[in-house]
Amino acid sequence: MGVPALFRWLHKKYPKIITPVIEEQPYEVDGQQYPVDTTRSNPNGEDFDNLYLDFNGIVHPCSHPENKPPPATESEMMMEIFKYTERVVNMVRPRKLLLIAIDGVAPRAKMNQQRARRFRSARDAKEADEKKAEFQTLLRSQQHSRGDPETALEDVVKKTWDSNVITPGTPFMVILAISIRYWVQWKLNTDPAWEKLKILISDATVPGEGEHKIMQFIRSQRADPEYDPNTKHVMYGLDADLIMLGIATHEPHFRILREDVEIRDAKAKTCNLCGQKGHYADNCRGNTKDKAGDYDEKEKTPDLKPFIWLNVPTLREYLGAEMFVPGQPFRFDLERALDDWVFMCFFVGNDFLPHLPSLDIHEDGIDTLIAIWRDNIPIMGGYLTCDGKVDLSRAQLILQGLAKQEDAIFRRRRQTEERREQNQRRRDQEKDAREQREQGRDAKRRRSSPDYGQGGFNGSIKGRSDDRAPTNAPMNLISPQSIEVDYNMVVNRGAVDRANTANKSAAAALKAQLMQKNKPAETPEKPTNEPGAVEQTPPSALGKRKAELLEEEDDSSTPGRTTPISQPETKTNGANPDDVPPDTVRLWETGYAERYYEQKFHVAPDDYEFRRKVAQSYVEGLAWVLLYYFQGCASWTWYYPYHYAPFAADFTDLDKMDIKFAKGKPFKPYEQLMGVLPAASNHAIPPVFHSLMTDPDSEIVDFYPEDFDLDANGKKQSWKAIVLLPFIDEKRLLSAMNTKYPLLTAEEHARNEMGKDALFVSDRHPLYDLLATEFYSKRQKNANGENMVKLPVRTGGLAGVAEKNPSYLPHMSLQGPEDDIKLEPEVDDDRSMSVLYMMPTSKHVHKSMLLRGVKEPAKVLDHTDIAILKSKARNSGR
Amino acid sequence: MASAQSFDIEPIARFNGASAGIRRPKEITCFSFDDQHKYRWDDSSLRYYHPPTIPADLNRGFDTFRALDDTRDDHLDGLVDTIALHEKEKGAKVDADIITWRGMMTKIMATPFSKLESWEMNATCFQGSIFIEENHATKLFSKQQQNQQKMPAGTPSQDIMSFWGYKFETLSLIPDTWDPTSREYIESRETEIVDNHAQYCSIVRTGFGKIKMIIGGEVDAVWDVKPTHPSSTPINYIELKTAAKIHTDRDQAKFERKLLKFWAQSFLLGVPKIIVGFRTKDGILTDLEEMETQAIPEMVKRGKGFWDGNICINFAAGFLEWLKTIITEQGVWRIRKVEKSSRLEIFKIEET
Ligand SMILES: [Mg+2]
Repeated sequence: MGVPALFRWLHKKYPKIITPVIEEQPYEVDGQQYPVDTTRSNPNGEDFDNLYLDFNGIVHPCSHPENKPPPATESEMMMEIFKYTERVVNMVRPRKLLLIAIDGVAPRAKMNQQRARRFRSARDAKEADEKKAEFQTLLRSQQHSRGDPETALEDVVKKTWDSNVITPGTPFMVILAISIRYWVQWKLNTDPAWEKLKILISDATVPGEGEHKIMQFIRSQRADPEYDPNTKHVMYGLDADLIMLGIATHEPHFRILREDVEIRDAKAKTCNLCGQKGHYADNCRGNTKDKAGDYDEKEKTPDLKPFIWLNVPTLREYLGAEMFVPGQPFRFDLERALDDWVFMCFFVGNDFLPHLPSLDIHEDGIDTLIAIWRDNIPIMGGYLTCDGKVDLSRAQLILQGLAKQEDAIFRRRRQTEERREQNQRRRDQEKDAREQREQGRDAKRRRSSPDYGQGGFNGSIKGRSDDRAPTNAPMNLISPQSIEVDYNMVVNRGAVDRANTANKSAAAALKAQLMQKNKPAETPEKPTNEPGAVEQTPPSALGKRKAELLEEEDDSSTPGRTTPISQPETKTNGANPDDVPPDTVRLWETGYAERYYEQKFHVAPDDYEFRRKVAQSYVEGLAWVLLYYFQGCASWTWYYPYHYAPFAADFTDLDKMDIKFAKGKPFKPYEQLMGVLPAASNHAIPPVFHSLMTDPDSEIVDFYPEDFDLDANGKKQSWKAIVLLPFIDEKRLLSAMNTKYPLLTAEEHARNEMGKDALFVSDRHPLYDLLATEFYSKRQKNANGENMVKLPVRTGGLAGVAEKNPSYLPHMSLQGPEDDIKLEPEVDDDRSMSVLYMMPTSKHVHKSMLLRGVKEPAKVLDHTDIAILKSKARNSGR
Repeated sequence: MASAQSFDIEPIARFNGASAGIRRPKEITCFSFDDQHKYRWDDSSLRYYHPPTIPADLNRGFDTFRALDDTRDDHLDGLVDTIALHEKEKGAKVDADIITWRGMMTKIMATPFSKLESWEMNATCFQGSIFIEENHATKLFSKQQQNQQKMPAGTPSQDIMSFWGYKFETLSLIPDTWDPTSREYIESRETEIVDNHAQYCSIVRTGFGKIKMIIGGEVDAVWDVKPTHPSSTPINYIELKTAAKIHTDRDQAKFERKLLKFWAQSFLLGVPKIIVGFRTKDGILTDLEEMETQAIPEMVKRGKGFWDGNICINFAAGFLEWLKTIITEQGVWRIRKVEKSSRLEIFKIEET
């Protein structure tokens, strides 16, 4: 679930689930650096067995970091990934297993979202690039006119690295897979803390989303009778809903590890344009390293963002108290109640379905559902879900409960919005008045440089204006003699245009100003016009822009999805009415359902059969998502075929539905690339396919529209808008691609193949000798030519089957995929072992139960915590 | 009747000290009785542990209990038949001084701390091994006596108390490992009919001091899974027991005495873990506790110290070594423990 709001909501409601991570740092004595001894016990007071890395959550922040310049090359990126991974591993110090899971091809249900995000980000990137180009031209002429030496501007204004290449099947993912193997082998040879560690790598060639491959693995191990039920797990990742996955494992010793998103130090962040610290892109002036002294990138102590734990056992405790309904004829089963909770969270948002119009995380939608669930427990006579299967007649009861409240929820939402807008207007007016008073008194520091989050945000068009005397400008204000272009002037051209009575383009205006440098005689009044106008930028435009910039990195399984927008959202609501189209559905007025279906789905307002169809698809979707979380992918091809959700009231006769999924096959990497990338990102796809995206005669050119609509759908924030792209027709896509497959090069073919998981151990691990004897000794036991061996769980601590890796030889020297991907000291005699790995498969349903022998962690909550929680529950959700 | 010889129990202090050398029990074979109590030379009746939901009523289903008729004398049948099959498969005789059920060895081991007990066993020597079995007639007789004993009103009958034990097993066990067992089965164990026809027995080779033994005994379940290849690691069998909840010091004392039997039984077959289901006096199961067999003697020593595991082992080793010097020829011998007696008696009852 991509909403940062989910994380905040969880934290607010269940405060004790979050605890800080204690991280040991390398220390220095007499100038000598001593690394942390990770063979010692974990400083967090508990040692961990297994660490799972949802690896895209490492790749993304390393490829476009927040607090330093982005790596210049992909090799540098890999080195950054090594560093970051090392930090995370050292924090956890897993003793038994490290699983690195990189996103492989996703189920079709996920691809709709991936596609929307990638098209959107390509469009935004295109706009940004155009502006950057313009900005660059302006800078050049400015430098020229100043007589500055012409620095390489390409170094100043960074070209956007297309993060769309972080998708299976691209050359980037191949380098990543080889690099991470190299790093793991190097660590096995050099780190004593890794002696008894088993490392599994599931790279992008293995289908499935990273976190769900991790889930599959955990379920597969639980099914083995020799699995240790007290295994202590840590999962690293950025998605807030990893905590739900943690709950869904029914492993009570489970923590989620992530960066602390609540700590956002703007000063530590870097500009999207020039990669330097100290300002946002909005205020970037493209200065070369003028400020290198203040914010040098080679700082001695890189400020490391702190990490936090999300403690699943604590959440289990909270939910145990919250979901317990006394006096039922059936036994309270916490594990079942937890599953129901996870299920109800899906209604409020997930990656596969749009959320119900009446449920919003910001309005405590989950509380609403829990309240309905508690009210209905006696009527339901049991739980809503069972081992990943929805009881549809019980789901009907919950949705009926919600339907009863739906009208009221919409009306209440409207009232809240109106109140908020009124308050905003009042604050604006008060502020304007105050500023006008102050202006009369003395020169106020209007704008500091750099300026975080103030300049431009709270201002309004009225009140500050051209009549302000230029002499009021403080010394650090841009003087007419040295007008410097800043990004604002370019980015917010539209806003400037509106504010500019002369109505010439901002670029033209700026050019005009720059020219004036050579005409010092002219009156200063004129040029101040423009900077003044810039300051008057309507706040919403800027806010929106900023949100979009942040959202750019907000791709599937990327940090942005759970990264809160740095500005409180209300600030972006200050709203220029032009920005948000009027909401013509008006959910708060009767007849909204008719208007909704007419406008969103383009069907007749009385087409109830259609509504039922939408609701049925949605229920299928809920069933699919539930299975996805609890049993694995039920269908690779199923997807929800609409852009919008139905109303709760549209769900009727659910108990008559019979939901069945056809498993299907995952897409091949190139098919997914063609399914989710826009033509603008075609550099990540083999050239033979390019014409399919761009040739007007291509039979699938309609999948790749240059332009597409965004529907704000009643939301104020543009990044929440719905991207109205046509859905991919799998059959047409595949048949079009089939004509091109024979034209692929051998190497391109190889990149499209499905791969296997890999297992690595050092020669000090008990499995090493077994595997070496099995696969590399003269007397290979597998005389029947079968290069497979079932792993001994009791001695090896891992269930599954190992297969000989044909491309591995022991005792070779270790080499990275590129010369500059290199780790010191070099390893000439590799003492690790690499084999292919297949996790055990079970034909049985994974049961949502604690395993026998589990010792539950000590309780964390006291009576007060529970009392607070219950009083909160009484006050919300109804 | 030949004249009786005897082995002194008292003074037990002479069995103090480090225990005699023990051969860690190792399974050589096993067998099952199916739900019709038909013999099978396999592990088909082996069951698996999955904890019951508590609280649970152990009385439920007493009226539908499918109880095995235990009045028949089965002698050492299952044990001896299986050893024969095993020997045939291996093509070699097993080498043992003593071959017996685990129950006989438990009684012998517990002797130094079970003054009030009385029992009788029969022993024969055949092809160099001494076979020991319970004297069935005495067993039935003493059971009858027990049942006729006047108990205070409200005390549960012997029958219901033994049912509680089987019920606890039904509540705690599943027929297969967890993954293939359905949720429906696991959740309906409370209504499952209690049936003690099916049994699983493990046969182990072990040894006390100089005595080599083959012992067979029923095993309740396995914790995880039986290794497919015989390995050096012990099989994680478990033993299920019920006991009254402990409220008072007296309860505690009673429980620690009971632990002697729990420990000896599991120790003899090499069962590493015992799961005790604590119940109220009217048979409501309320708590579960996992105990490591090998930790029990220490636990008792730290507690009331009623018994000492080393003394039990040394006593048994001493007695069996002595027994081996007595039973050297064919015939049937009786070994007898009389209530409050400070010696074990042995005498020949029959020439063959
Ligand atoms: Mg992911």
